[in-house]
Amino acid sequence: MTAAIDVRSLGIRYNLRLTRKNTVRETFKNLARRRNGPAHFWALRDVSFRIDHGESLAVIGPNGAGKSTLLQVLAGILEPTEGRIEVLGRISSLLTLGAGFDTDLSGRDNIRLAGAFMGMEHTDMLRRLPGIIDFADIGQFIDAPIKTYSTGMNARLGFSIATAVEPDVLLLDEVLGTGDATFRSKSQQRVEELMRSARAIVLVTHDMTWPVEFCNRAILLEKGQIVAAGDPSEVVRVHEERSGQRRAGQQPDPLPPLYDAGLPALSSHIPGAVRLR
Amino acid sequence: MSAATEAVRPAYRPDRPGPVTTIRQTIADVVSRRRLILYLVRADLKKHGADTLLGNVWWVLDPLLTMLVYVVLVAVILRSTREAYPLFIFCAILPWKWFSSAVGAATICVVSRERIIKQVAFPKIVLPLSACVGGIVSFIFGLIPLFAMLVLLFPNHLTPWVLLIPVVAAVQFLLTLGIGILLSGLTVFYRDVGLLMTHALRLWFYVSPALYGTDQIQSLTAKNPELARLFNLNPFTGLFESYRNLIYYGQAPTWDLLGIVVVESLVILVVGVLVFRRIEPAFAKVL
Repeated sequence: MTAAIDVRSLGIRYNLRLTRKNTVRETFKNLARRRNGPAHFWALRDVSFRIDHGESLAVIGPNGAGKSTLLQVLAGILEPTEGRIEVLGRISSLLTLGAGFDTDLSGRDNIRLAGAFMGMEHTDMLRRLPGIIDFADIGQFIDAPIKTYSTGMNARLGFSIATAVEPDVLLLDEVLGTGDATFRSKSQQRVEELMRSARAIVLVTHDMTWPVEFCNRAILLEKGQIVAAGDPSEVVRVHEERSGQRRAGQQPDPLPPLYDAGLPALSSHIPGAVRLR
Repeated sequence: MSAATEAVRPAYRPDRPGPVTTIRQTIADVVSRRRLILYLVRADLKKHGADTLLGNVWWVLDPLLTMLVYVVLVAVILRSTREAYPLFIFCAILPWKWFSSAVGAATICVVSRERIIKQVAFPKIVLPLSACVGGIVSFIFGLIPLFAMLVLLFPNHLTPWVLLIPVVAAVQFLLTLGIGILLSGLTVFYRDVGLLMTHALRLWFYVSPALYGTDQIQSLTAKNPELARLFNLNPFTGLFESYRNLIYYGQAPTWDLLGIVVVESLVILVVGVLVFRRIEPAFAKVL
C-alpha cells in the first residue's frame, strides 16, 4: 500500500503581527512595541502521520486545536512553515462547504466556477454537471442566484460538488450534519461509496459518532499537536474524557505530544508522490 | 514558548525558486487556468450592471457622461477654444475609464475572494488577471460612442490611423496588468491601498495630458527640462498622446513615448508578478 497522505514534522506558523494589522498605521504601532507579546503562533507543530489509500482519518480536538489548519495544509492552501507533506492524487477540498460560492451567480454558474477553481478539465466538468445538479436536488433553484438559497441548499450543493469530482483524497470539514434527514442519509451513502472505492478521507468533526462509524483511524489534536492517535473509539474516548473535564471547569493534564506518529514512513520513498507547494 | 521553540528549523524551510522560474511558472499557471480566467471574467460581466436599470448600457453611457461633465467645465465655463474639444478629451477619458476601473477592480479582487482562497488551492494570480481582462470589454463598448461621435459629429477627424488603437490598447493593458497585480497583492496586507488609490488615481489623471494637450503646458516645460522629462516619463503622457494622435489628429502615435511606456509597463509587470508570487503563500493566513 502506498501512502495517500504522508505528513512529516509539519509545522504551520502564523505571524501575528501580520495577521492582526490591516492598516499602515498599525504597522508602525507594531514596530514601535516590537518587544511586547509573542510575534508568532504555531497553529500546528511536529505533526506527523500517514494515511494509506482506502483509509479514513478522523481529526478531532477542541476548538482552536488546529484541525481546520491541518485540512488547509493538506489541500495545499497553506504552505508548511516547516516539515513536509505529500499528497498523492487529486484532492477535493470544499472545506466549509458552500462558503466559497459567489452569491450573485446562479448555482449552475457556481458549479462551473468551483470546478475551474479546483482545476478540473472543462469537458470533465460538463460531463459531471448533470450528476452534481441531480445529487444536490435543489430543483429550479439551480438557475437562481446563490443568495436566494437556504443554508441547507447551500451546503447540499457544496457537498455535491466536493464529492462529485471523484477525488482521490477527500477533505471534509464539519459537513456531514447538514441538510435534512433525507440528504444526510444520501451524503452518508456517498461518503461510504468514496471510502469503498479505495480513496482516502480526512474528516474534521465535532460529531463523535462519525469517527467511530466511518473512520478506521483517528488523531486527537490539542494546541496544534497530536496528543493521541490510533483506533477511533479509543481516541474519541480520550477526547470525551478530556472535554468532560473541561466542561467541569478543570484543566485536563496536558498530554505529551506524539512526535513520531507515522514516522515509520520517513525513510520510505513514495514513487509518483506529489509534493505540495 | 521559549526562544528555542520559536525558531523555524532551517533544514525544513522550503526553497524558493528564482525570478526566472517564478515568471515561467506563473505563465504556465495562467495558461493552464485559462478556463478559470474566462469564467471569472464572465462572472464579472454577468454581475456588472445586473442590478442597475440600464444594465450594460452604462458601459456606453458612463464615458459619455464623464465627457459631458468635462466639456461643461472646460469648454463652457473655462471657455477653451480648442476645436472639437469633446472628441479631444474623449480620447483620454475612454482609456482612463478602462484603466481606473480595472485597477480598482484588481485592487479588491483578492480580498473579495477571501473565502474561496481559504478553501481551494489555485494560482491566485488569475484573480487580478481576470479583473484586468474584464476591463477590456467595457473599453470595447466605449469604442461605440467614440466611433459614433467620429462618424456623426467630427467626420473630418476620422482617418485610417484609428485602426492602430488596439496596438496602443495592448500597451495600456500591460501597464494595467502590472499595476493591478501589484496592488491586488499589497491590499491583502494594507487595506489602506484601496483608499489611497482613489486619490492617487485622481491626481494622476490631472497631471497627465487628458483635459489639456502637451502643447498647452509647453510654456511650463520649456523653462524646466527636468519637469519635461518627468512629464514624458509618465506612462499616460505617451498613452494619451498616442490615442489622441490616432483619433484626434489622425497621425502616427508618438512611438518614442510609447516605447518608454512599454519598457515601464514590462518592468512594473515583472516586479508585480514577483512581489505577488512572493507574498501569495501568506494570503490564506492573512485574509
